[in-house]
Amino acid sequence: MSAAAISVAGLTKSYGDFQAVRGIDFEVAQGEVFGLLGPNGAGKTTTVEILEGLRPRTSGDVKVLGFDPAADTLAVKERIGVSLQSTRLPEKMKVHEAVELFAALYAKSVEPNALLKRLQLWDKRAAFYSTLSGGQKQRLAIALALVNDPQVVFLDEPSTGLDPQVRLEIHSLIEEMRDQKRTILLTTHYIEEAERLCHRVAIVDEGKIIAIGSPRELQQRVLGHARVEITTVEPLDGVPPEPYTPAFSADRRHMTVSVEKPARAVVDLVKWLDSQGAELDDLHIKRPTLEDVFLELTGKKLRD
Amino acid sequence: MKAYLAYIKSTLQLTIRDRLVLFFNYLMPLVFFIAFGEGFGASTSTGAMAQVVTMVLMLGVLGTGFFGGGMRATAEREAGILRRFKVAPITPAPILVGSLFTGWIVFLPTVIFFLVIARLRYGMPVPEHSLSLLVMVSAGVLAFRGIGLIIASVVNSMAESQVVIQLLYLPMLMLSGATIPLNILPDWLQSVAQFLPSTHLYMGMQNILVREQSLAQNWVPLCALVATMLIALLLSVKLFRWEKGDVLKPGAKLWLLGVLAPFVAIGMYQTYSKDNLKETQILARQMRRGQTWLIKDARIFTGTGDGRVIERGSVLVKGGRIEAIFEGSAPDAKSLKAETLEASGKTVLPGLIDTNVNLFLPGTGAPDPDGVRQTRAMQRALGAYLYCGVTAIRTTPDPMKIAKELQRRVGAGEMAGAEVILGEAPPQGSRSLVLLDSVAGNHDLLKDTLTQQVVKPAALEKLRAWAATHPPKSGATPQLPPPGPMMTLSGLPGLPHGPAIHREMKLRVAAGAKPKDVLLDATARAAQAIGASGRLGVIQPGAEATLLIVEGNPLEDITVTERIWNVLFKGERVRRDDLLEEKK
Repeated sequence: MSAAAISVAGLTKSYGDFQAVRGIDFEVAQGEVFGLLGPNGAGKTTTVEILEGLRPRTSGDVKVLGFDPAADTLAVKERIGVSLQSTRLPEKMKVHEAVELFAALYAKSVEPNALLKRLQLWDKRAAFYSTLSGGQKQRLAIALALVNDPQVVFLDEPSTGLDPQVRLEIHSLIEEMRDQKRTILLTTHYIEEAERLCHRVAIVDEGKIIAIGSPRELQQRVLGHARVEITTVEPLDGVPPEPYTPAFSADRRHMTVSVEKPARAVVDLVKWLDSQGAELDDLHIKRPTLEDVFLELTGKKLRD
Repeated sequence: MKAYLAYIKSTLQLTIRDRLVLFFNYLMPLVFFIAFGEGFGASTSTGAMAQVVTMVLMLGVLGTGFFGGGMRATAEREAGILRRFKVAPITPAPILVGSLFTGWIVFLPTVIFFLVIARLRYGMPVPEHSLSLLVMVSAGVLAFRGIGLIIASVVNSMAESQVVIQLLYLPMLMLSGATIPLNILPDWLQSVAQFLPSTHLYMGMQNILVREQSLAQNWVPLCALVATMLIALLLSVKLFRWEKGDVLKPGAKLWLLGVLAPFVAIGMYQTYSKDNLKETQILARQMRRGQTWLIKDARIFTGTGDGRVIERGSVLVKGGRIEAIFEGSAPDAKSLKAETLEASGKTVLPGLIDTNVNLFLPGTGAPDPDGVRQTRAMQRALGAYLYCGVTAIRTTPDPMKIAKELQRRVGAGEMAGAEVILGEAPPQGSRSLVLLDSVAGNHDLLKDTLTQQVVKPAALEKLRAWAATHPPKSGATPQLPPPGPMMTLSGLPGLPHGPAIHREMKLRVAAGAKPKDVLLDATARAAQAIGASGRLGVIQPGAEATLLIVEGNPLEDITVTERIWNVLFKGERVRRDDLLEEKK
């Protein structure tokens, strides 16, 4: 048996004439946080729902924890946790009731009270669903996803529509889950989210994966170079030694150098500045963002 | 199992928190209950009370089935609530069973609630077969919950579900019999109603409440309801959709019809047999017989003792029997929960009894050779008797046993007419003066008002023609007969069924008998002769409430017995004008 928690090969899904997914391949290792990044309508949610056993696929091989979600649907559902993109609970359901109800649906479940405390929902345990804020609803959705202590967690757009403060809360929750070595498949169209949370990211556009790798790898593969930006107190006279070919600002106080290995470059450049007797004012290492990567790969912006 | 229990528990909690459920299950039926309870005079009649109880239960069952079951399941799918359950490892079964079960458990207190109110406010006795009623209502709730789920399974939106539900809800409510009595609807509509589950649920509940039948006697509706529930459950599992996005093919809507299969079968059988149409008649009659009446301020000829008369008094009739007799000033009808019959200046007598008639002879000529028409003629004859205040007759059995069948029908309440006693009159029991009169060529009977009213014009023509060929014979004066039970031998030529007893009484008085004795001959003594002593022919507590109310005082003037104001038959106030209507 392979170590992959999720494996997808040649997956396609058509709705009538419309091809939502056009041949997707990827694997997610045990304990890995894997992101599907792409704009709305790219086929992320369809892919995830096929993995969750919610939809049949048109073709391809799919395994989740060694089970085929289309054939062994219940076995898969028993072992995974899911936070759906669009779902609601009955308005008059209380928080603790929701957790207890869903706990009862699984063969194995965690202790509801502990879960509520962990997700900071303890104070809200007797509140009706309809009275919860957006962040609380999302935390409850994640609580429900964790109620069966799943080995694989699917989070579909976990922070969409939340304000930045709440989004950070959700991010730290996901980081906590990552530290617990859970396998997480996350879909998002937020770059920062993917960069911050994911070990690896697949960029999806129009039903296909157009790039896959760690955020760092993707950045490097696409643009090759990071940029080191240096600002000095006085204008600079000299030119740094090979292989560095900087560009200077007009007042020669700002120097930008494209490099493959920014850490090495910083050491070299600071040594050179010292030798020039120049006083360093500021220093940045700028990496290309996934936004840049996406733009480069697809020619379009991630969000309109 | 854990999943089922958890889901049911959760659904119950949500249902109890839902104010709409409270409204549809309790408040709205309660308003109807009070409104119709007062309007129908529920307190004066156990039948009307049963009708009101059945109506609110029917409202509740249909409401919880269509709106609580169907609409809610659709709404949960539309809102994306079911979607959340879809990712959990459960099948549709707990959700569907949960809906059925919740509907049932939430409805049961309603049943008890209304029975208690009926008891406290309107004094309805606790139903004989309370448990049977609960089982029947339970089967109804489950079946209609199932139908609701099927509707949810086949509609694609809330709007569609509204349309389908209204299409089914209204006819099922209106045609069930719970709101409009079935027997006043045209025949074809009554036949349509036989295809609706609600009609059978209504009949089942009524049979148990009004006719005090057991569950076993209502196995057909019970089984059909249970079958409906099972089919509905199976089909909803098959058609279950978790998400709004999963659209069903238009053809799949026809599955809805599958769930009605048991009732289509019953409906077809009923169209053929018409059993339930008869049952409907019986139910309506049973309800009318359950009415409580206070006949107020009348002269009462009790038929007891030596013909005791109460000059001013009141008779309380309840549940088809005489409950009490009040001498002097009348008690308050309201406190007795009775409907009043204001009868001052009138006389209440026990229903008249004719101890010897020939029901299968037409009274006009030869009997009809056709069996069907013979039945119809005899049925009409029984109606004619009742119209004339003759509430029981004894007839010799006919070879085709039609009288026996009619005896059953009247007894069951399937038709209105005089009670039939089968048997031969003893040879020396009494004598028919009206026959002697007729044989002597005196045909005054044919001129009597009642005769004009009850005999069909064509038959009257025949009678007159016959009379013309039997002119009066000279010197044939009837002798004074010994007092004895009233007999007319109606059915013989010249003696049409119904009015002859009044002429017989006049002849007896004319021959010298005292009116009181003649009345005793027609009531208590006649009852004794036919073996119905104590039950018929007397006005005393415990006797059957089969009464005749006439305008005036027959003890002074025997001819007032023809001036009939009202006839009560086993507690039912007889609609005299309906009796002679041609039956199809």
